[in-house]
Amino acid sequence: MQYLIQLLISGLAIGAIYGLIAMGFAVIYKSTGLVNFAQGEMTMITAYIAWTISTTVSGNVFIVAIGAILAAVVLGLVIERLVMRPMLGEPVFATVMVTIGLAVILRSAINFVWDAYPHALDIGMGRGIVHLGGIGLRTGQIAVIVTLLALLAAIWAFFRYSKVGVAMRAVASDDRTALLMGISATKVHALAWAASSVIAGIGGVFFALSYDLSPAMFQLGLKAFPATILGGLDAVLGSGLGGLLIGITESLAGGYLSSGMKEVAGFAMIIVVLMVRPFGIFGERDIERV
Amino acid sequence: MRTGDYKQTYGELVALIDSPPVWLWSAVLLLALIAAPYLLNSYALSFLMIILITTTGALGLNILTGYTGLISLGHVGFLVTGAYAYAVLVSKYHMPPLVGFLGAGVVPALASLIVGAPSLRLKGLYLAITTLAFSFIINTVILEMRWLTNGARGIQVQRPEILGISFDSDAAFTYLCLVVAALTLFATLNIRRSRVGRAFVAIRDNDTAARVMGINLHAYKLYAFVTSAFITGIAGALYGIYLSFVSVEGFPFLLSIEALAILIVGGLGSALGAVLGTILIVLLPEATRVAFSLFSAQMDATFTTGAQELKSMLYGLVIILFLRFQPRGLVGAWHDIKRAWVHWPLRY
Repeated sequence: MQYLIQLLISGLAIGAIYGLIAMGFAVIYKSTGLVNFAQGEMTMITAYIAWTISTTVSGNVFIVAIGAILAAVVLGLVIERLVMRPMLGEPVFATVMVTIGLAVILRSAINFVWDAYPHALDIGMGRGIVHLGGIGLRTGQIAVIVTLLALLAAIWAFFRYSKVGVAMRAVASDDRTALLMGISATKVHALAWAASSVIAGIGGVFFALSYDLSPAMFQLGLKAFPATILGGLDAVLGSGLGGLLIGITESLAGGYLSSGMKEVAGFAMIIVVLMVRPFGIFGERDIERV
Repeated sequence: MRTGDYKQTYGELVALIDSPPVWLWSAVLLLALIAAPYLLNSYALSFLMIILITTTGALGLNILTGYTGLISLGHVGFLVTGAYAYAVLVSKYHMPPLVGFLGAGVVPALASLIVGAPSLRLKGLYLAITTLAFSFIINTVILEMRWLTNGARGIQVQRPEILGISFDSDAAFTYLCLVVAALTLFATLNIRRSRVGRAFVAIRDNDTAARVMGINLHAYKLYAFVTSAFITGIAGALYGIYLSFVSVEGFPFLLSIEALAILIVGGLGSALGAVLGTILIVLLPEATRVAFSLFSAQMDATFTTGAQELKSMLYGLVIILFLRFQPRGLVGAWHDIKRAWVHWPLRY
């Protein structure tokens, strides 16, 4: 029982990170209709920038946090402006392939800008252990779960009540009509890329806090894929919750089956989900008109 | 003056080669390829081998992604399955290499049935994601099935001896790759002009319309999956023999990206494009290295230390630039040049 609870909690903690990155996927899919295969790499770059700030400028939590968020915003905007906007109006296949190309470039760039060795992001917190009823918990793990829940609430409110959020939903559902209503689709796309980069970047920084930074971190993006498929590619909140589910599944598969199963549990789940409910648990079924 | 291609019968339209000069140049190319192993040094020969093996693989993916329009991000999964099928049959159970090659085609084809059959309900991105998931699952399966595959230790593979002919030397092995690549090219060109190939292209262009025309979507998508996996598996076996060692690490995920880059650079849905794309993509890292080493020795050093990273960066860059500026690939560029040549000084 103790073991099970331990597994569940570590599953929730890693799942919250997957959830954050999966929300990044969903924000972009929802407003631009494409899957960003470079999400994991963008996450990783934000985490590396946070690490650089913490080692060169200051280890203060707030400075690192603000620096990382700013860096993520700039990263998202630059990628949208330089790489994605010229592809506007091209077929989905082409734009998705561009994100794949981008992923490969970013991944290799990290090996040149930084190095191939693992680093610990140390800002004086996140690795302390709290005991709750006999179960050891890292503070970073608690923080990431709380952050995910807070972001979920904030994003729900943003899409439901704010004018910009409603504009983003409008562009997602029908960009031409949205244009006629006076919404700038390019601005919405830029905003979506920046927001997605920040949300996923937060996940990346938390990952670096609890575990280590290394060039293999881009795999977080692949691990978050199942989460967003499970929750629904167009459901931001669903993706966040999907992350928690995938995290728990992985942790249980790793704890009770084998470590190999842990690696592929999420992918096996993708295939099952796509067979049964291709649009995800919270996603909307799209109906194709001929 | 020739002002256009006037095809009067259906036979002329689907002919493999439509003009005498093309016959001539194809024959010259074939002769050059036959002479090459005697003329090239071993360094250049290794590039020729890689190009021939990669061509086979790219043609396999071309059937699925180029003709039928189903994106696969996990073709390296079929490549590694083919390599392991060959290695297990030949190195472990001492079967004749021909049986090994047959197995290298059939095993991935069966695997593709398992992935393909449920994936047929899915389109575009979703299919890309399931195939991506497949390529990761297959790696774990191979690592877990230690009794068959030696797990992470991999399997040693010898160059084969088929029908009494030894393919041990580099030149002989190049001929084997050449024969396989030529047969594959011929097979894909023929598939394209048959009823099945036309059905594939119809599915790519508009699957709903294709269905209305009476094409059984499920059956034809499965054909495409199985054919593609068969060819890719054989390319995998050749690659395994080339590496002389089959392991999961020998087939990184980057190969899937490389294959898609080849198709995009060459021009999607064209066998000629797959060949041209392969040549460009295989030689690109080497050409860049040589170009940079002319400038400074320091650049050269960077290339040797970070070769893998630079290679993947180049692939990414090439994918993005081609999609942005020449979406029809090298084949499209070639058509434009031909048209400009014929019509000069007129625009069209």
